[in-house]
Amino acid sequence: MSWVFSNPLVTLSDSEKNERDKALWEAEDLGGITEDNNRVPVPVVALVFLTVLTAFAITFPLWGQRPTAAIYVDYVKTLNSPEVQAIQDDAVAMQKIVDANKGSAQASQIERHPVSLDDLRILAPQIEALQKNGADLREYTVVGPQVVLSNYEGNKKADGTRERFQPWWDIGYTIDIFYLLAFFLGATIVIKRLPPSSWEPTHKHDH
Amino acid sequence: MNFREYKVGARLFSFALGSSMVITLLFPAMEMGAAVATDIALDKQLSAGRETGFNYDDPLMLGWGKPSKVLVSADPVSGQPIPATYAYVYPAGTPFPSGILHPRTLGSAGAGLSEKVGRVGEAQKKSGAVFLIKSDEQKHFYIENATATLGWAPDAVLKAALDENVAHVGAGKTQFVREGCWWCHTLLPEQTQDWQVFGAPPMLGDFNGESPTAFGSDRKAPDLLHVASRNSSKEWMMLHFFNPRLVQPHSIMPRYDYLWGEKDATGAKIDFNKWRAEYTEYSEGKRADAPEVPSFAKDSRIRDLVDFMLSLK
Amino acid sequence: MLKYLFAKNEDIPTGTAAVFFGFSSIVWFVIGTGLGSFNAAKLAFPDFVMGNEFLAFGHLRQVHVHAVIFGWISMAFAMAMMYITPALGNTKLWSEKLGVWNCFLWNVGLSLGLTVLWAGITSGREYSDFPWFIDLYIALFIAIPLSLNVWMTVITRRTQGIYTTNWFFVGACFMLIIVFLIGNLPEFFHLTGLTEAYLTWWFAHNVLGLWITPVAAAIAYYTIPKVTGNPLYSHRIGHLHFWSVVVFYSTPAAHHLMSAPLPEWLKSFASVEGVLILVPAVAFVSNILLTMQGKWNMFVENLEIRFTITGCLLAIPLNMQGGFQQTRAINWYVHGTGWIVAHAHLALLGFSTFLEGAAVYLGLQTLMKRKLYSLTLGNVHFWLLLIGFAIYWISMTIAGLIQGAGKIYEVPYIDVVIAEHPYMIARWIGGTMVFISNVVWLYNMWMTAREGTVVPAGRMPHELAYER
Repeated sequence: MSWVFSNPLVTLSDSEKNERDKALWEAEDLGGITEDNNRVPVPVVALVFLTVLTAFAITFPLWGQRPTAAIYVDYVKTLNSPEVQAIQDDAVAMQKIVDANKGSAQASQIERHPVSLDDLRILAPQIEALQKNGADLREYTVVGPQVVLSNYEGNKKADGTRERFQPWWDIGYTIDIFYLLAFFLGATIVIKRLPPSSWEPTHKHDH
Repeated sequence: MNFREYKVGARLFSFALGSSMVITLLFPAMEMGAAVATDIALDKQLSAGRETGFNYDDPLMLGWGKPSKVLVSADPVSGQPIPATYAYVYPAGTPFPSGILHPRTLGSAGAGLSEKVGRVGEAQKKSGAVFLIKSDEQKHFYIENATATLGWAPDAVLKAALDENVAHVGAGKTQFVREGCWWCHTLLPEQTQDWQVFGAPPMLGDFNGESPTAFGSDRKAPDLLHVASRNSSKEWMMLHFFNPRLVQPHSIMPRYDYLWGEKDATGAKIDFNKWRAEYTEYSEGKRADAPEVPSFAKDSRIRDLVDFMLSLK
Repeated sequence: MLKYLFAKNEDIPTGTAAVFFGFSSIVWFVIGTGLGSFNAAKLAFPDFVMGNEFLAFGHLRQVHVHAVIFGWISMAFAMAMMYITPALGNTKLWSEKLGVWNCFLWNVGLSLGLTVLWAGITSGREYSDFPWFIDLYIALFIAIPLSLNVWMTVITRRTQGIYTTNWFFVGACFMLIIVFLIGNLPEFFHLTGLTEAYLTWWFAHNVLGLWITPVAAAIAYYTIPKVTGNPLYSHRIGHLHFWSVVVFYSTPAAHHLMSAPLPEWLKSFASVEGVLILVPAVAFVSNILLTMQGKWNMFVENLEIRFTITGCLLAIPLNMQGGFQQTRAINWYVHGTGWIVAHAHLALLGFSTFLEGAAVYLGLQTLMKRKLYSLTLGNVHFWLLLIGFAIYWISMTIAGLIQGAGKIYEVPYIDVVIAEHPYMIARWIGGTMVFISNVVWLYNMWMTAREGTVVPAGRMPHELAYER
């Protein structure tokens, strides 16, 4: 493979190689069938890119991922505040908690993983116990009214803390971007090594 | 002949397939291998035994070489009453589950405690063993080899127990797999509203050591992961297995009457043809009552299966 | 067949192995769909045949699945490989004798494996239900000899290049062996727990994505240019298809276990890659349909083309379902319902069966040098198969949507069972039509072998007029 790194896509298919491939292509008898060398049609390219965009759009983690315990910390704090404790009616109390945390950093997460006051009352002591033990709440997920450990949050350093936490919008996402880049790079190289698409093979002789 | 050699293609192919396998096999394997076994996982693997799919010890999958889960309320050595606890009895020759053979599959804390405090390394297949599930103050669950720590011999525990306190859970799980229950009943409540009906989905570490997990994929019938929490009636299970339409007229479950075997609990031969004929009369309205369902023998396959069902809490 | 097992390789007529594989696959198809129809009857009428362990649903369900996957689909693939690979290399099969032995051992091993499953002896892992000794048998005596024959035929070819179909055959054989050996590691080495569950679905997804889908598509890359006489539209799109199968179709295993506590990043990764299976699908469908330019009359007039194009068109709904149903946004609704059963039948009975059907029709006629016995029976086969499949697919999709709604709105389960009942009967009717169509096919192919018009040397079967 002769490949000039500063000019890869042209040198991958230099004219000498093209001529060889063309001669081969036209002389080839593949059990009586032949192949054309049409370029990948623009609608197909468009569909492929549409698919990639759709894939990221539809799998964006807005749905279905389990919430971490960390997003309820503010709620637990508000729940324990004297104002909220003084309210008798559950619906009013819950409204108060929601209103008090309207602008918090977790607001968008909470919106997708709403919690009822009953569940919050069961969750609160579990979350507090974990906080007291110094646990990192991002390592815990909330499943129904239970707080459970999910040990899938990256490798641990020697001091017991995590090397890196993935933000909620990137759990398994950046790896996909690299994977796709590798694919499209590879596919481009493979396709560019073929003779140019303006050339139309003539399947002249009778197979 | 001057072949095109496809060197680039072959290399790209191995690179593509290799990187896909690194991401989907190697990385997940490293993470999943670190899962810490919960008490649920310990209960599952100790009561099911080594393997409930095809294996050497039970090639026909009839529940051979499986442990018993025994409710113990008196120390089998001294006879002194103790708080009721489950003991997992492995009679001599019964293969041990992977938590005993490879404690590291229990995860870091459980493995260390099981080996040091629980002394599972001393368990011998030749002479059998009795296991208990214990936990330390930090709620780290581990397995204790009661034969080594308390001197409980498998035969003594079995002899001291009433039959109603002995559950053939492992043999029952084998029947669950063998009879294809999992083609319609999943063991995996989903992350959707259906927890409300079928209970909490399994958590990380809830099935360390379980094989096969038999989650199922095609749910033509209710999820069974927590079935005994909803319905723990042995009598209902018996009627339902013999002919589901006795208790649920619209059920499409097959009849599992053949699991009763030849004889009933009293040793009398079961006349299936007569029963079916009488049931047909009943379903056509020619009879007022459904025929009596024979109670099953202690060593029948249906007993194992009912024991397994009732263990799914 | 037995006389060829011990004959000298040179004495075995060319194409013998492929013909044996072709007829074996049709026989297994009849058996597999017969069992499917029987099982469906049991779901519609639960007391239909009872009291016998060996006629129970739980014992026969996996026999149906494996008879169809390893008997019909994979043997039709073997037939296609033994016929198409040498044809595309202008050469003979590397070893006809190995091919005959492969076919013999395949039938023996599959009968043994299905008997074992029938008795209830199973690993308890869906799609890798065979116990490990059958898995080893399949790897050693079925997959590896087949791959060896395909690889050696490609290596000893008498062309310079390798045609698209043969890349797929060579690559898919390699991937089948890898998938089989790694996917069954839990049985070989007793891996347990989450690893076992994940590898079960890694196997199940990849045996479909890296074996059945690419080989079925590769067959279309042969039959369409061969029968229409058009050149394949684009070698470049073929590249896009092949590489995207290897890269995207090998990764989405985790999307089968969205409710299990697998790593969240793995589920996301699988989910994105799962949508990207639309890339090979777009490439495949566009390449085939563009190749048909100017020959669309053959879609009506020619049986093989009609089968291939139908399968190819069914790939569109198949991949639209497959790509999107596995994302978290949709999976929570349809997971575990009849929707998935419908989807699986769309893949195996719709898309793939129609493509293989074309290959078996074309291959058997060409190799036996006999024109199809009866076009009428061929048409009956096609329409019964298509209508039976459509009834099955539509009824199970509706049943699945009912189940999904019942799941989300927490309807008591028995009400869902009652609501589904009409669709269970429809499923049985559709499945029975498929079974009957295959009995017709078997008769038609058998009569072709005995009484079909002889095709003169150098002519294609479709160039001759039908006599009946």
